[in-house]
Amino acid sequence: MTAILQALASGLALGAIYGLIALGFNITYATTKTFNFGQGAFLVPGSLVGVSLLLLAAGKPHWGNLAPSEMTLLSYALATLASVAVVGAIGILLYYCAIKPFVGAGGLNWVLSTIGFGIILQNAALAVWGPASIAVPSPLGNEVWRIAGAGIRPQEVLIAGVAISVMVGLDIVLRKTRFGKALRAVAFNPQAAAIVGINVEKIVIIAFVISSSLAGLAGMLIAPITTASVFIGLGVALKAFSAAIVGGLTSPRGCMLGGFLLGIIEALVGLWRAEMREITIFLLIIIVLVLRPGGLMGARSVEKI
Amino acid sequence: MGLVHGLSLALLAAALALLPALPLNDFHLQILFTIGVNYLAAAGLNVLVGYAGQKSLGHAGLFAVGAYTAAIASVEWGISPWASLLLACGFGAVFGLVIALPSVRVSGPSLAMVTIGFGIVVEKIVTEWTDIFKGQAGLYGISAPSIAGRSFTNLHWVWFVGALCIVTHLMLRSLLRGRYGRAFLAVQMAEPAAQSVGISVSRYKTLAFVVSAVTCALAGAVVAQQNQYFNSDFITFNLSIFFLVVVIFGGSGSIYGPLLGSVVLTLLDAWLARWPALQHFSYGALLLFSLYLMPNGLAGALGALFRGRPKIFDRSQADAGVSVLAARPSAGDGSALLVVADLHKAYGGIVPVNHVGFTIGAGKVHALIGPNGAGKTTLLNLLSGHVAPDSGSIRFQGQELAGQPAHRVASLGIARTFQNLKLFGDLSALDNVLLGAHRHVEASFPAALLGLPASRRAEAQARADALALLADLGLGERAFEPARSLPYGLQRRLEIARALASRPKLLLLDEPAAGLNPQETHELGDVIKRIQTAGVTVLLIEHHMDLVMGISQHVLVLDYGALIAEGAPDAIRKNPRVIAAYLGADEDAATVAESVA
Repeated sequence: MTAILQALASGLALGAIYGLIALGFNITYATTKTFNFGQGAFLVPGSLVGVSLLLLAAGKPHWGNLAPSEMTLLSYALATLASVAVVGAIGILLYYCAIKPFVGAGGLNWVLSTIGFGIILQNAALAVWGPASIAVPSPLGNEVWRIAGAGIRPQEVLIAGVAISVMVGLDIVLRKTRFGKALRAVAFNPQAAAIVGINVEKIVIIAFVISSSLAGLAGMLIAPITTASVFIGLGVALKAFSAAIVGGLTSPRGCMLGGFLLGIIEALVGLWRAEMREITIFLLIIIVLVLRPGGLMGARSVEKI
Repeated sequence: MGLVHGLSLALLAAALALLPALPLNDFHLQILFTIGVNYLAAAGLNVLVGYAGQKSLGHAGLFAVGAYTAAIASVEWGISPWASLLLACGFGAVFGLVIALPSVRVSGPSLAMVTIGFGIVVEKIVTEWTDIFKGQAGLYGISAPSIAGRSFTNLHWVWFVGALCIVTHLMLRSLLRGRYGRAFLAVQMAEPAAQSVGISVSRYKTLAFVVSAVTCALAGAVVAQQNQYFNSDFITFNLSIFFLVVVIFGGSGSIYGPLLGSVVLTLLDAWLARWPALQHFSYGALLLFSLYLMPNGLAGALGALFRGRPKIFDRSQADAGVSVLAARPSAGDGSALLVVADLHKAYGGIVPVNHVGFTIGAGKVHALIGPNGAGKTTLLNLLSGHVAPDSGSIRFQGQELAGQPAHRVASLGIARTFQNLKLFGDLSALDNVLLGAHRHVEASFPAALLGLPASRRAEAQARADALALLADLGLGERAFEPARSLPYGLQRRLEIARALASRPKLLLLDEPAAGLNPQETHELGDVIKRIQTAGVTVLLIEHHMDLVMGISQHVLVLDYGALIAEGAPDAIRKNPRVIAAYLGADEDAATVAESVA
């Protein structure tokens, strides 16, 4: 029982990470029918920039291991904000290099261009930080908390807390604000949105900045669990992509739901047989999509004849 | 074109034969071998991605199927290498069906996800199920083919793969130039239109998956045999991406794209291998910028440089064929061709077709009229099978159509056009009409793959017939132009030509005069009369009352999903309920309107 509780907690934290990144896929897909297939590479600067700032602040070179004493919750928070800002800015670059030339052209060219951008970003990070992974302590300490007998890592609580707040915040922004309304207008019909005076390109750029920032945030949040390295991104982003598709790429809430579902199933299956995690998850995804091609909460697309 | 192609193949064969005379070391031979293997995998994938329009990010899984079949067949089962290769292709086909089963039901990002999922499941199975697949440790001692007891040297491997590539190329070329290639493209461009000419969309998607799976499995098997060793590290998500990159960078939808892609990318890879950091950067930059400069890949860019002369239409090409409109069957006797009873379709609270029943008599022109939103197009969609009814029956020549898929309805002899044109825009007018005739081009899959004379004859005859029909409808001069470049009025007419090419018994026209000028509308009336003369029964939806009253013998009036009147045009013109429906007037006003009329 405690094992299950423990698995649920880490599944929730992992799911929150997937949900955050999946939400990023949703936001750009809604506005441009594209998303960043190389999103995994965006987690890399997300974690490494923040960790390097903390290291520099501690008077060390920009790579190396970080001791728990060299970080406070405040410095972690500031480093995270800086990371998110940097990755958000990379999102603008991504838009101009890899998305803008291909939007509306149909075909798969944007898939390859975003993968290409990701490869360049990852190798740039490799040149700066090298292949070694950096151990990152949690700002809440690495001591395991005992809750109802189950050992829960403080970073998992932090991840879930931050991710859920960000999701709720974004959900409100998307539903209630002028920006959210403009974004939905662009998603529904860019031409019509432009006619009523919405700056479509601005909205799209903001969407890519948000999407990239979310990946950056995810990178920084997950670093204390996976360590920070150039190679953490692909696996996580692939699961996040799966979460978005299963939940429904067209529905922000579906994406978040998909993230949590995937995280929890992954953790529970891992409890049974760790090596069966991916097999189970991806088989489940295929079954779900066959039954509901648009995802659990996605719109069913019907072509008008 | 055929001459150039033959010469190029001869040159390639000569170059392969001259390899021993060149100062090549094993490294060079290995590169040539890799080019061949990548070509094999990409050539089939191109059928799926470039022709059928289905993306796959999981073909590493099919590569694994081939490689592990060859490996296990040799190591565990002791099957001969040649038989293992065939077995690998067979297993490839089976797994192609397995991946197609869920894939044909989804599209867009969900399709990408399903294929990614397939690739990862295979990757994990071969990694984790070590009892059978030996995981990272791998399978050793895979025996390689040999001829007369002599095992292959590196040179022989290049020759062998080169031969496989040439055979694969010839088969795919033969397949894609005929009805199968057209059908794949039709599925990619406009699914409803493809169904309307009798093409089963899911069947063709499945076929494309199987073709791509077979070549990909063959590539895997050849690699495992040449290597004599295979482990799970070969199978990664990146390999799936790489295959897709070869196809798209080379130029998807061009038969030469995969060749260009595999040559350039393999050479680049080998050349940059000395500087690993640079290798990855340049790979990324290539993905990022090359498609910006060459949206249609290398083949597209080169094709623009060497564009051949446009084909010119001349009368003699059409003279060899017979236009569908030239048929003189026994005139329709007015007997019931289509009987609709109690047909019903609701979308939530909106009921576009509300318990409708009527009979279509053979040989007549029937018109379906009604105000906007009356449910006319939905009714047509029900008849053509594009929408399934909630209840009711549609009997066509005694056969029940309700609930049948659109391609099945089409193959029984009901053709249609679309209110919003659904032409295969990038294909020529001729190809559009040939697609209309899809069911009548007799060519079995093996015959088309092998380019047998029977298949070529059928194709040539269909071409001549299609040109005759196009000439008959005044579209002959435009036969080789892409459909989307035709003026709007001619596009409408081309859609009618495509529908006619399927030799229907019943032709459904959805607002054929929409957007036409008065002159074109008048010509359309003549065309419909000719269609009737040729023995085809017509049901048209139309708003132009002059046209409706001028050509139809029977008019059906739909309002709010209900059939409110039917009969001869003159009677309908005076029917108070019809006038009320159109003018929104009450009964009194209707009577006034009637007296004015």
